[in-house]
Amino acid sequence: MNGKEVLRRMRKSNFFLAGAIIVAFIIIMALISPGIIVHNPIGTDLTKRLVPPEFLARGWHGYVLGTDPLGQDILTRLLIGGRMSLMISIIVVLATAFLGTILGVVSGFYGKTVDMVIMRIADIQMSIPPTVLAIAVIAVLGTSITNLIIVLVITGWPSYTRVVRSNVMVMRNVEFIQASRALGSSNIRIMFTQILPNVLTALIILMSQNFGRIILIEASMSFLGLGVPLPTPSWGSMISEGREYLTTAPWVVIAPGCTLMLAVLGFNFLGDGVRDILDPKSKH
Amino acid sequence: MFRYILKRLGYTVFVIIGVSIITFLLLKLAPGDPARLMLPENATEEQVQAMHVRLGLDKPLYEQYWSYMNNVLHGDLGTSLFFVKPNAQLIAERFPATMKLAFSAIALSLIIAIPLGVTAGVKKGTAADFFAMLFALFGQSMSSVWLGILLILIFAVKLRVLPAMGSAGIQSMILPCVTMGFSLAALVTRMVRSGMIDVLQEDYITATYARGISPRKVIFKYAFRNAMLPTITIVGMEVGMLLGGSVVTERIFGWPGIGSLTIQAIGMRDFPLVQSILLVISTIFVLVNLIVDIIYTFVDPRMKLE
Repeated sequence: MNGKEVLRRMRKSNFFLAGAIIVAFIIIMALISPGIIVHNPIGTDLTKRLVPPEFLARGWHGYVLGTDPLGQDILTRLLIGGRMSLMISIIVVLATAFLGTILGVVSGFYGKTVDMVIMRIADIQMSIPPTVLAIAVIAVLGTSITNLIIVLVITGWPSYTRVVRSNVMVMRNVEFIQASRALGSSNIRIMFTQILPNVLTALIILMSQNFGRIILIEASMSFLGLGVPLPTPSWGSMISEGREYLTTAPWVVIAPGCTLMLAVLGFNFLGDGVRDILDPKSKH
Repeated sequence: MFRYILKRLGYTVFVIIGVSIITFLLLKLAPGDPARLMLPENATEEQVQAMHVRLGLDKPLYEQYWSYMNNVLHGDLGTSLFFVKPNAQLIAERFPATMKLAFSAIALSLIIAIPLGVTAGVKKGTAADFFAMLFALFGQSMSSVWLGILLILIFAVKLRVLPAMGSAGIQSMILPCVTMGFSLAALVTRMVRSGMIDVLQEDYITATYARGISPRKVIFKYAFRNAMLPTITIVGMEVGMLLGGSVVTERIFGWPGIGSLTIQAIGMRDFPLVQSILLVISTIFVLVNLIVDIIYTFVDPRMKLE
């Protein structure tokens, strides 16, 4: 499939376009947010607590989406929290894909004992529900962004390994690989310069569909107080903080709730779109 | 087929042993000396050493694992540091509440998702299909954290028709149940839909139509059953996500199940209890998948040939 064909399909896929617009918006906001915020995201001011949303009545310097129980500007915290969520999900997706792919390529290429050991570890890993494992590990190790990233990578690698492995197993016996071997290429060379590029499509599809899931788990963990440690804002912990003010100040939860939903929807649209574009056979 | 089931059983034992090693090692990662945590702050070095011997911490790791497993197999999951009760008892007390919620959530999601998925698959490309797919995409993008709060906001705070908290009566189950089952319903809708589309393209379906069998009979007798096969596996695998999600759902609605127990245990830094919960939930998950695979061999006649 050449670049032109990919572009044509991108323009034709509504999912991809909708997802791409939302995700592009999120990325741009994450990049420029430190420059455009006018309030301190962690500056508590109890005289300004629970101010209702003013929208643009007082312009950008007012409390556009209101303030939370600590008097912090919600819009500012949404922007900074989104930056954090996005950074965590990018690191997690890249690290998981890296680890999962290496194990998958090695497993599929060598087969036999190596394959058995890696796949059995993956099986055991997948028998522990990811959220429960993440909660237990963070509970023991303590909350920090690094621990959160580590635990999300640990729970995520087996799905990459499985997909990459099955692709590699098919590739292993393809003629050009055998030819390359006959010419004396080393295993490492065959694995990473010849097989890997051919499993890239499957890998990209998997990665694009993973972002939404990571953001959801991160939000759940932060909601439970096991994700991004306070006072750093995150959408999950913002929802948790607003829980007690549902009757008096619903805007405290509505803003992060809707943002979270929209962001995940955007990434999921994009993921589905990428799949439709790269693997039209699976399209329904 | 029995050979397959036997093999599957042996495999399950292997996986459970693997899981138990992970849960055992998890506690070893915990910072701080467990003996010191159990003693008063001014305990002498000798007392700490004595506690080490009492807890078996002076023995090599594999011996510690062995005695841990020995206890687990005798139904002894250790004692909770905070509740000062056997972990097994604590989990058994909270277990029915979580199961009640999980089963209702699965039932609810299937009741919604199967008709929706079948309709969408049969009427591919119509408004009904579009609506079903929109529901599926929203469902999978909805964080249970936000969904739970949103439901409380609408049905408990604004409309005042359902309770926001507690576990008394059937009404209090509705919101947690929807929160827990929503994403599963979305996933199953998608699975059933694509299963139906795949099956309806098969030659044997065209052949049944050609024989003049009514479309209703073709869809429900010949297509539906085959389309449901992958769904069974997915539901089994999603039980793990559901049990994980119960922690969030139970926290939102104050539901007194395993999820709330987990939160309490974490709050009190009661690591042995966290460890036991992890082991129990994972074992249930593995057993559910074993049962699903065995059911599969009965439902899918092709499996009998192997």
